[in-house]
Amino acid sequence: MDLKMDLEERLRAETWGKPSSVNDLPQRVPPDRQTQFPNFASHKNLQKREDQDPSISNYGMRIEPSFSEFNRPSECQPPLPSNPISQDRGVQMNDILQLGKTQEWDPKAMLNNLSFLEQKIHQLQELVHAIVGRRGPVLGRPDELVAQQQQLITADLTSIIIQLISTAGSLLPSVKNSLSSASTPPIRQLGQLGGILNNSGSGIGLDSNLVLPSQGGSKVPDQSNQVDPMDQSAIDNLEDHESKDDEDGDEGENLPPGSFEILQLEKEEILAPHTHFCTICGKGFKRDANLRMHMRGHGDEYKTPAALAKPHKEAGSEMMLIKRYSCPYAGCKRNKDHKKFQPLKTILCVKNHYKRTHCDKSYTCSRCNTKKFSVIADLKTHEKHCGKDKWLCSCGTTFSRKDKLFGHITLFQGHTPAIPFDENKGGLSLQGEHNEDTNKVGNVSFSFGSSTPSSGGVQNIMEDVKGNVDDPSSFFSPLSFEASNFGGFNEFTRSAFDDSEGAFSFLLQASCNYTQKNGGQSSSNNLE
Amino acid sequence: MASLESLTEDLLVRIYKGLASDADRKSWRLVCRDFHRIDALTRSSLRVLRVEFLRSLLANYPRLDTLDLSVCPRIDDGAVAVLLTSRGSPWAFPRAAASSLSPPGRDPLAWTRGLRKLVLSRSTGLGHHGLEQVIRACAYLESVDVSHCCGFGDREAAALSCGARLREVKMDKCLGVTDVGLAKIAVGCGRLEKVSLKWCMEIGDLGVDLLCNKCVDLKFLDLSYLKVTNDSLQSIGSLPKLEVLALVGCSLIDDTGLQFLGGGCPLLRVIDMSRCNGISSCGLVSVAKGHEGLVQLNASYSLTECSSILLRCFKDLKNLNAIKIDGARVSDSAFKALSNCTSLVEIGLGKCIGATNLGLMRLVSGCVNLRVLDLTCCHSITDAAIFAISDSCRNLTCLKLESCNMITEKSLYYLGSFCLLLEELDLTDCGGINDTGLEYLSNCLELSCLKLALCPTISDKGLGHIASKCRKICEIDLYRCNGIGDDALAALSSGCKKLRRLNLSYCSDVTDRGMEYLGQLEELWDLEMRSLFNVTGVGLMALAAGCKRLADLDMKYCENVDDSGFWALAYYARNLRQINLSHCNISNMGLCMVMSNLTRLQEAKLVHLNKVTVEGFELALRTCWVRIKKVKLLAALRFKLSSDVRETLHSRGCKIRWD
Repeated sequence: MDLKMDLEERLRAETWGKPSSVNDLPQRVPPDRQTQFPNFASHKNLQKREDQDPSISNYGMRIEPSFSEFNRPSECQPPLPSNPISQDRGVQMNDILQLGKTQEWDPKAMLNNLSFLEQKIHQLQELVHAIVGRRGPVLGRPDELVAQQQQLITADLTSIIIQLISTAGSLLPSVKNSLSSASTPPIRQLGQLGGILNNSGSGIGLDSNLVLPSQGGSKVPDQSNQVDPMDQSAIDNLEDHESKDDEDGDEGENLPPGSFEILQLEKEEILAPHTHFCTICGKGFKRDANLRMHMRGHGDEYKTPAALAKPHKEAGSEMMLIKRYSCPYAGCKRNKDHKKFQPLKTILCVKNHYKRTHCDKSYTCSRCNTKKFSVIADLKTHEKHCGKDKWLCSCGTTFSRKDKLFGHITLFQGHTPAIPFDENKGGLSLQGEHNEDTNKVGNVSFSFGSSTPSSGGVQNIMEDVKGNVDDPSSFFSPLSFEASNFGGFNEFTRSAFDDSEGAFSFLLQASCNYTQKNGGQSSSNNLE
Repeated sequence: MASLESLTEDLLVRIYKGLASDADRKSWRLVCRDFHRIDALTRSSLRVLRVEFLRSLLANYPRLDTLDLSVCPRIDDGAVAVLLTSRGSPWAFPRAAASSLSPPGRDPLAWTRGLRKLVLSRSTGLGHHGLEQVIRACAYLESVDVSHCCGFGDREAAALSCGARLREVKMDKCLGVTDVGLAKIAVGCGRLEKVSLKWCMEIGDLGVDLLCNKCVDLKFLDLSYLKVTNDSLQSIGSLPKLEVLALVGCSLIDDTGLQFLGGGCPLLRVIDMSRCNGISSCGLVSVAKGHEGLVQLNASYSLTECSSILLRCFKDLKNLNAIKIDGARVSDSAFKALSNCTSLVEIGLGKCIGATNLGLMRLVSGCVNLRVLDLTCCHSITDAAIFAISDSCRNLTCLKLESCNMITEKSLYYLGSFCLLLEELDLTDCGGINDTGLEYLSNCLELSCLKLALCPTISDKGLGHIASKCRKICEIDLYRCNGIGDDALAALSSGCKKLRRLNLSYCSDVTDRGMEYLGQLEELWDLEMRSLFNVTGVGLMALAAGCKRLADLDMKYCENVDDSGFWALAYYARNLRQINLSHCNISNMGLCMVMSNLTRLQEAKLVHLNKVTVEGFELALRTCWVRIKKVKLLAALRFKLSSDVRETLHSRGCKIRWD
C-alpha cells in the first residue's frame, strides 16, 4: 500500500514540480510543516526516495505547501511567511477559485491559457532534449531515473492535454462561461476519460488521474495576475466566511493535525429558507429538483433530459479534506470555541442542530397539540406516528415499535408500558400496523426526496464558502478515489462512494450538463 | 353437654382440624355457639356463594387467608367499593350483623391484612378500578386468580401489578391481556413465582421475554395455547428456578426452541408439551438430556413417531414418573425400552398406533409401579393385555380403556381380582362388557369414578352390583346406556350417597320415578339429563327439591317437562350455577322465574325455546343481567333484543354466544 501511495505521491510531485520548476522552494519550507499532513502518509517514504534523487526530491518537497494551499486555504499562509510569492499564489489561487463561479469568461483568460500551454510544451521539449543530450555521457545513471523521466514526460503531456481540453471546455456553449467550469468540470471530463482508460487497463490512466491536481495548481500562477484585481469585489459577499475560515484555520492548529477543517455558517444563512434560486426570475426553492422543474417554464433548453437530470453529487469532493461544521451559537458544544467541541458533519446537520437547539419550536403537532418542533421535517415525522400505535413508556418516552419499548423496559428498572386510553385496542393496533407499513414507504420516499435538497444545500453552501477549492481529483475514476482514500480519509461516507460510482457511469455529456447547472446556480447564488 | 364443655378450646381446635369435608365442617358449625366460634377462629379459607353476606363473613373469620369469590355472582366495582369502605354496608342485614362474633369497634378492614390468596376467577363484572382497589387494599396478597375473566385486558393487568408482593398470578383466558399488560405485571410484581397465562391469546414473545427478564424467581409458567415462538423458549431457558413449564398447543415452537430449554432451566421437573405440532422426538431428546431430574413429561399428540433414542433417554431419567406420548406411533421394541423406566407411575398411550397386547405385556413387565394407565382408543388390546396389566400393576388406581372394543367381562374380572385400589375406570364405548363384568368390578371398593357411556349391554342389574358395593363412587357416566332405567337410579340413590356427577343423557327409560330417587342424592352437583322424554315437571320438582347442591343442570331436549317443573326449579335450586334449557318447553313466565329467582346462576343456554317470545327473553335477561356471565341465545335474537339489554349485558362482562 505504501508503495502505491508512494508512487502516487511521487508522480504528483513530478507532474506538479516540473512545469513550475521551482528548485529552491524546499529549503524555505520549514521541516515541521512537512510532517503536519498525516493525510500524506507516505511523506516520509517519499523523503527517503528523495535522498536518492535530488531532482525528484525537489518536486516532492514542493508539493507540500502547494497542496496545503490547495486544500486548506486558511492554513496556507502561516507556513510560508518568508515566501511572498508562494503566499501570493495561495491567495491568488483562492481568489481564482472563488472567481471561477463569479466571473464571466473572457478571451483574455483563454489567451493566457493558450500561451501557458505553449510555454509548457516548450518546457517539455527542453526536457526531452536534455534527456537526449544526457544519454551518452551519463552512463552510470540507474535505469530507474530514466524510467522516471519518461514518466515525467508522459505526465506533463497528459497535463497539457488536460489543459487543452479544459480550455476548450470553457468554450462549450452550454457552459455559462464561468472560469470555474473551465477549471474543474472539464477536468472531470478528463478524469472520466482517465477512468475509462484505467478500466481499459492502460497504464497511462493512472498518470492522467494523478496529474490532475497539479493542473489546477499549474494554472494558478498564470492566471493570478489578471484575476487578482477584479476578484475583490466579487468575493465581497463571501468575505466574512473567508475571514471566519481564516480564524478557524488559526484555531485548527490546536486540533489534531490535519484531522478536519472547520466551517461555520452565520445564523442568517442557517435559517435561510431557500437555497436554490432561479437565475431568471429569482424564485427561491428548497430543493434543487424543484428548481429544475421550475426551470422548465423558462424555455425549452431547460427541458432536455440532460438539464433535468439530477446533477451527480461531487462524489468525493471532500476527498482531500474532511469538512466539519461549527455552530455559530456561542457556548454551544457544537461551537468551535467550546472546550469539548464536537463538530457537525454536514450543513444539514448544522441547520437541523441550530433550529432544534437554538430556535423556538414553532411547529406544533396538529394531532396532539402538545409536541412542538422547530424543524418541520421532525414535525412531519412525528405527525405520521402521532396518536397511532404509539408505544409509550411510563417515563414518557415514546417508541414507534413495540419491541423497542420492551427493550427499553427490560433495560430500565421500574419502567412499565403505559396503557393507551382507548379501549378498542385490538382493532386499533391492527390498523396501526397497516399504517406503519405505509408510513415506512412514506418515510423512505421522504428521506429519498430530502437527500436531494440536503446534498444540494451542502453543495451550494460549500460553493459559497469555499469556491471550488475541492480537489478536482475527486471527480475521477474509482482508482483515483481509492488512491486518495489511502491517504487516510476513512471517514468518507459510504453514500458518497456509491454516488461517485454512479457518477462514473456517466459520460462526458452528463458532466457537461452538470457543469452547466452548477455554474448557473452558483452564479445566481452569488448574485443574491 | 357437660362433657362437651369440659373440652378446652385447644382440644376443640384439634378435633376441628381433623374434619375432612366441607359438609362435616358445616355440621360442626351448627352444633353450638362454641363450636361455631372454633370454626370461625380456625377457618382460613372461605368460598363465598353470595356477596350479600360477604362483609359479615369477612368480619367473622379473623384468620382468613384465602378468599374465593369465583362462584359468587355480582362481584363488581360497586361491591368492592362497599366492601372496602370502613362504614356499614347496605347489605349487612341486621340479623347477620347481630350474629357477628367480632368484638365491636374492630377494624372492619382487618381481613385485608390477613388475606394471602384471592380467587376472582370468572368475576367478569369486575373492572380495573375495583380490581385495583382490592389489590391495593390487600397489601399482603401473595396469590391472585383472575382466570376466565375473558374481558380482562391490560388495564386489569395493570391493576394486578399493584400487588408488589404477589407470588402467584393466574390469568388463564384473560383474552384482552397483551404484552403490555404482562409487562406491567412483570415489572410491578418482581417476586412472581407462578404465572399462568393459558389462553391469553394476545401475549407473545416480547411479553414472555420481559417476564423472564424481570421475574427471575419464576418456578411455574404456563404458556399454553399462546402464539409464542422459539424466542420465548430462549428467554425461558434463562430462568434459573423454573420447575414447571406448560406449553400445551404452542404450535409455533419447534426442536430448535427445545434445545434452549435443554441447555437452561436446571431445576425443571415438569414439562407439558402436548399438542405442539412443531416438535419431534429429537427436540424431546435435547430436553431429556439436559434435565436428569425430570419428573413429568407430557408430549401427547405432539409426536408422530416415538424414536428409540428418545426412549433410551427416558431410561436415564431416574425420577421420571409420568410420561404421556398419546398419539405417537410406537413399536413393541419401544415398549421394551420404556419398561426399563421402573420409576414410572403414569403412562399415557392414548391413540398410540402400535400399542398391542405384546407391547403392553412387555411394558408392564418392567413398570410394575404404574398407577395411572391411559389406553384410550388402543383398539387392538384384548383381555390378555388387561390380565398382564392387572397382574403386574396391583397399585393401579386409574385405567382408561375407552373404545377398547375387544375387552370383555374377563378384563373386569381381572381388575376386580387384582386391582383393588382402582379408583377410576373408563369403559366408555366398550361394547364387550356386561352386567356380569360389573359384578366382578364391584370388588374394587375404592372406585369413585366409573364411565360406562355407550355401553348399551349393561342394565339396572349390573349397576345395582356397583351401587351396592362401591360406596365411594362420586361420578358415574351413563350416557346413552339404553339398558339403564329407574331401578339403577334407585340403587345408586341408596348405595352411592356421595354421588356428585351423573350423566343420564339419552337413557330414555328413566322416568319421574327415577328422578325422585335422584332427589335423595344430596351431594349431587352436576346432572346431565338430556333428552329424557319420560321425565315431566313432577320429576324435575322432586329432583330440585332434593338435590340442594345442584349447581350444573343440563336438561336439553327434556321436552315433556312443563312449567310446574321449572317453577319448582326456580324455587328450590338456589345453588344452580349453570343451566341448559335448550329445546325445553318452558314458557315466558317459567323462564323469567328461573332466571330471576336463581340468584347464583351464571351461565344459561337458552336456544330453541319455542314457547318463549322475544319479550320473554328480554324480560328474563333484564331480571338477571346483574349477575349472569354467559348466555347462549339464538342468533336470530341478536337484532330482536333491545340494544339496551345487549349493551348492559356486555358492559357487565356477560358473554353472549349467538348460536
